[in-house]
Amino acid sequence: MEFDWAEEDVSYRSELQAFLQDELPGRWEGATAVLGSAENAEYSRRFAGLLADEGWLTPHWPAEWGGTGATPWMLAVLGEELWSRGEPRGPQYMNVNWIGPSIMAHGTAEQCERYLPPIAAGDVIWCQGFSEPEAGTDLASLRTRAVPDGDHYVVNGSKIWTSYGDIADHCYLLVRTDPGAERHHGISVLLMDMDSPGLEVRPIPGMVGEHSFTELFLSDVRVPAANRLGPENEGWAVVREALSFERVGAPRWARAAYVLDETLQWARELGRVIEESTVEAVGRAKAACEAARMLCYRVIDERARDLPPSPHANVARVAMVQAERLTADACAALQGNEIMRYGSSSDLQTRKSLAAGVAAGTYEVQLNLVARRHLGLPKS
Amino acid sequence: MDFALNSDQQAVLEAVGTLLSRHAGPARLQQLGGDEPDYDHDLEKRLLEAGFLDLATTRSTCRLDAALVLEAVSGALGSCAAGWRLLVAPTLDTDLPGPVALVPDGRRGPVRFAADADAIVVIGSPVRLVRPDRSIARVRSRLGWPVGEVRELPAGGDLDGVDPAEVRTWARTALAVEMVGAMQLALDMTVRHVSDRRQFDRAIGSFQAVQHGLAECSVAVEGARWLALEAAFTGSAAAAAASLTHAVDASRLVFGRVHQYHGAMGFTREYDLHLATMRLLALRSEAEALGSPAAACAAEHWTI
Repeated sequence: MEFDWAEEDVSYRSELQAFLQDELPGRWEGATAVLGSAENAEYSRRFAGLLADEGWLTPHWPAEWGGTGATPWMLAVLGEELWSRGEPRGPQYMNVNWIGPSIMAHGTAEQCERYLPPIAAGDVIWCQGFSEPEAGTDLASLRTRAVPDGDHYVVNGSKIWTSYGDIADHCYLLVRTDPGAERHHGISVLLMDMDSPGLEVRPIPGMVGEHSFTELFLSDVRVPAANRLGPENEGWAVVREALSFERVGAPRWARAAYVLDETLQWARELGRVIEESTVEAVGRAKAACEAARMLCYRVIDERARDLPPSPHANVARVAMVQAERLTADACAALQGNEIMRYGSSSDLQTRKSLAAGVAAGTYEVQLNLVARRHLGLPKS
Repeated sequence: MDFALNSDQQAVLEAVGTLLSRHAGPARLQQLGGDEPDYDHDLEKRLLEAGFLDLATTRSTCRLDAALVLEAVSGALGSCAAGWRLLVAPTLDTDLPGPVALVPDGRRGPVRFAADADAIVVIGSPVRLVRPDRSIARVRSRLGWPVGEVRELPAGGDLDGVDPAEVRTWARTALAVEMVGAMQLALDMTVRHVSDRRQFDRAIGSFQAVQHGLAECSVAVEGARWLALEAAFTGSAAAAAASLTHAVDASRLVFGRVHQYHGAMGFTREYDLHLATMRLLALRSEAEALGSPAAACAAEHWTI
């Protein structure tokens, strides 16, 4: 056990920081714009392209698809540096972290040829067609139906809470192909073009910054059977594996720590007097961000050793949500009535902390998993 | 970065585990007086003789291994000043003869180990190591530690060249590690209890309310543990303050919940839970005596 960074990780981080310093000088507005906003997503097309030129967009991919043999620790450094700057890759972090790897693992040669190069070049946006009105946390109860028709599937149903649905080029879509099967079977993954006839996208304005969800309505949308990823009816295993590529998910703690930095900077520049109780709130939030960081590192360490996914990922996710919430409290304490000003960091962070406990698996589900798998408590 | 124990660390933890299973643990503490225990000179001697208390001998040695041993001693409810000895002593650059207590300058009243200490570390400027000139009275305390009443301390004993900030840093890390050891013991006892105890025809640990409560405790303790180990590895003041801040927050959560989930049994003296939990109150009080950990955490990370 030891907690020093390897030489290669240190130099990787400093190269990356120098690049980011040039590309995102000072306080990049995107950092306070919200991940998921159209502004953030559009900027990602430029930014991800630049990253791709440096070999930093898909460094962990195999060389065949543009990778440079980055280790899990280097990938963690990359995630940290980018999330602490508001994630300028926008939606494309999903592409590189799990959509691309999932296509590599299950895609046909044609699918790989078609979908991977644009992801590696940083000029494509994907959305994930998972949640439905009746299938949120209980994702396996999804009902959007795909019926084979010649060399196509005809898809009918709807998806909801889809981020980037209004700007995406493709959708990683979960559909039910066998309604008679047990619920975890009979699901398939389709790679759907977002300009498919019969697909209607309705924006749902969100309350977290400028972020909008969308709702997708699919009426007799024809998706080529050649666009099915993995075996028919075995999509649940495909998507579970895809999400496990990320394991611990986005390093939210890094962005929360950045927001704390920025908000303190703001208070100092204005010469605000910071009361002792506020200082303590800031200290507690910082400690929570640091704890989340170490708990994420433990998961990355397991990955670096090629250990199978463990409940430590759920522990880390819970800690990240707590860090987001405490950071929101600390920012609110620091900013006082500034929280009434739209766009203030306390306003935004409070909103983001709401999303933290829901996105990518609710806080309560993570607690269930920690209780059962980590603590070994009995099932009800 | 490497989160797994190396072979040396494994060997040390196995050996200290064997020693602690024979000479420490809740039964041993009950034998020493339970929540009003005597100082365990025997345990301290055995740990010393086996070399466990001198794992980090100088300022420059990495104190991570020492922290791992301290966590084990704390988890076995050792009734001796292992924390100061293992993590603070290397900073003092002086031989410590026997039991030692630690107080910030000017602090009076109940202090852990003060009645049994051969020497007291006074954190001021300069840092001093004083030998009490008359015996320090024992305080009746029921928090699972031997406690003495510190009044006026003799002058002198200046440790020139010892940085008080560094002593405070290591004291914070030691307290965080000790809190983690005690919290983990309390949590383990509680997980066992709620898995065995049946009401309404089911294990009470199968109720989601209980599961969520314990899951949050576990996340808090795990966070505090890795922060404390990192602080021991780096020796950084910022890491020490962050780890103690998180440990103190975790202790508030853990303290209430583990007792709650034990029902009435949790507040009997014959059941061992209180030996782990009440200790947290003393540790927290010594943590606050070094200055608010949360304020220190903010101040060490930013200029406020």
